Amino acid sequence: MKGYTGKILKVDLTEEKSHERTFDESYARKYLGGQGFAVELVYHGVPKGSDPLGPKNVLAMAGGTFDGFPVGTGGKVAFAAKSPATGTLAESIMGGSIGPELRHAGYDALEIVGKAESPSYIWIDNGTVEVKDASDLWGKDTREVPEILKKRHGWDVKVACIGVAGEKLSRLASIDCDDRQAGRAGLGAVMGSKNLKAIVIRGTKDLVPADPKKLLDLALHYQKIYEAAPSFVEDTKYGTGEFLGWVNKDRGVFPTRNWQEGVFNEREKIDPYYWATRYVTKNKACFACTKPCGKLFEVKSGKFAGVAIDGIEYETLYSLGGACGNSDVESVAKANELCDLLGLDTISAGVTVGFAMELFQRGIITESETGVNLAWSNASDAVPKMIEMMGNRKGFGDVLADGVKVAAGKIGKGSERYAIHTKGMEPPAYDVRGMKGHGLAYMTSTRGACHLRAGFYAPELVGKFWKWEGIDRFSAVGKGFMVSQTENFMCVYDSVGLCKFSRGFYLIAKLPEVIEAITGLKFSEDELLKIGERIHNMKGNFNAREGVLRKDWLLPARILEDPIPEGVSKGSKISVDEMNLMLDDYMKARGWTSDGVPTPEKLKELGIE
Amino acid sequence: MVKMLVPYPENCTGCRFCEMACSVYHDGKVNHADARLQVHRRNVKVDFPSVCTHCVSCGEDCCVLHCPVEAIKKENGIVHVNQDECTACGTCVEVCPFGVMRMEEKAFNCDLCGGDPTCVKFCPMKAIVYEEPKPEQYEKVKKLLKEV
Repeated sequence: MKGYTGKILKVDLTEEKSHERTFDESYARKYLGGQGFAVELVYHGVPKGSDPLGPKNVLAMAGGTFDGFPVGTGGKVAFAAKSPATGTLAESIMGGSIGPELRHAGYDALEIVGKAESPSYIWIDNGTVEVKDASDLWGKDTREVPEILKKRHGWDVKVACIGVAGEKLSRLASIDCDDRQAGRAGLGAVMGSKNLKAIVIRGTKDLVPADPKKLLDLALHYQKIYEAAPSFVEDTKYGTGEFLGWVNKDRGVFPTRNWQEGVFNEREKIDPYYWATRYVTKNKACFACTKPCGKLFEVKSGKFAGVAIDGIEYETLYSLGGACGNSDVESVAKANELCDLLGLDTISAGVTVGFAMELFQRGIITESETGVNLAWSNASDAVPKMIEMMGNRKGFGDVLADGVKVAAGKIGKGSERYAIHTKGMEPPAYDVRGMKGHGLAYMTSTRGACHLRAGFYAPELVGKFWKWEGIDRFSAVGKGFMVSQTENFMCVYDSVGLCKFSRGFYLIAKLPEVIEAITGLKFSEDELLKIGERIHNMKGNFNAREGVLRKDWLLPARILEDPIPEGVSKGSKISVDEMNLMLDDYMKARGWTSDGVPTPEKLKELGIE
Repeated sequence: MVKMLVPYPENCTGCRFCEMACSVYHDGKVNHADARLQVHRRNVKVDFPSVCTHCVSCGEDCCVLHCPVEAIKKENGIVHVNQDECTACGTCVEVCPFGVMRMEEKAFNCDLCGGDPTCVKFCPMKAIVYEEPKPEQYEKVKKLLKEV
């Protein structure tokens, strides 16, 4: 079996012991790599009812099948655990170089269990594993930590770490590597709960593909395709925010001021078409990405001078921008930098601030409690201030540090009505009232409201994708089947480690030859989709076992009751009937019970125990 | 006109694809330490490639000058290590100002892929260009390398 290292490393922080085990071709055929491996480790490793922030939770990290090999945009690494934000099996994917490095060190996956007695970090040097003291790193930010560790272990080591928010167990805490983040679902808090500040890896072993010549030929073939695509020009010039104007004006589904509106009327100020020439000083890329959407955004003067981030991504322009009514792009950048340094997910953190701002607008909370003027008109000042307070759990920041669901529980006074989330996770930048299938995807996503478990925004905004044409975003009909299919599709992407922005180039049909060039294993398109279905069913079954059922998946009241007030999607919402229709269709397509539980027959068919 | 690899640090995104492609092209496997060029991903602001300049820009730190057994020769503008004569003493690795002379059993370096460099094909951002040597670009990289 080429391409794989064939080994999984387990580190027990309680016992300060490590252990490696091998796997064979049948394991690779069943779970593929990346997300597949990470989900398998959590699914089989976490006992029922475990506290996500307790020692029994498993934090898994796995490089995709393509990780470490020259496949353009194919260097993603998957983290997974039982999420403290949602109580479900959640994975979070990032483009940092820690995944490829793990494979060069000799392991396809890393499974971390237990809890260290005091602040620690894991140091993996080509197969030598140590748990080391991190007391001097505790309290340090996500740029200071790698700087210190690289001075200590060498400039070539790779570091994934948490910031202060992870130490303080914020359910919005992210994991950082190379200024890229595994942001979603609070996996940074899982690291914090284990007293684990960082994972440091040096890998210098060979990775050997099955057919090197074929692999390079394929890489060059796709490189030409990337460069000829219109999205190459847009992404490299403006980053992921390039379609912000279009989502606003032409689709009217850019959630604004905590989802009160679907169009941000000051969108020009945060649109990269307007700011790129002024603030972008260089392109940045994830590991192995040859169509880079990362941007070095630098603020050189004014009150936010000194800010330098890899961003601002589309999602963050929404969460720390539009969702907070913040049209000051320098303030968005500052808040983005604070999130990165403190280790907070920009999406969830921004939506949580926007939620507090709506409560402020409605007089449910006042400046005497918050200590900050949270008026929309004061967004430029308020957003960075509140992010800093959240990351450090200072003052009112402590109330908001665990997201909208927990905050609404603490605040009460009817604030639940304004808490926009599913399964306890704050939603990304697509107002699903005007894209109903994507609304279904927010419900069925195993990690709570997410745009990337199904990626269904693309089919609905464009109207066609993969096998389908003429998709009507305002219709609930037929979406159950399509969402179930695209979820399987995305599980495959996260398992091979390919960026989802490349999904249009490969779809699924083109992946087998790339996988074969690396591993020598042959797969059909259907076999790959079956693996995707298996991975999704494992997550679904885990969540059902933890008692997270259909009744817990439902959309928040605003999406069901308040139509989008203006713009091209004016008047649209998802009715309760439409929600139920889509969920019924989905359960049927999945072969699950109407409560959202995978049936024994389905589990048997997929070989899930 | 002799063409060489010319690095443009300001264009580099730090993706390290060139290292992987170089390694697979020459050795049929990926090992970043064996790639005939190197990408430095320092921090959010600084990424840059360091390439073999075939001693058009090495000054006194030239592998050709320092090899104690004269196993490294420059022929038609290309620096080449004679594998039969190399004693693997490591002197060339130490003196190379760009850190791209490599060593396994014997020393080896960039061969420009016979005039069609693989790294260049995979750099859409033009951080490495195959063109007439540009001494000022090599100086930029030398300066960045000293800033560790």
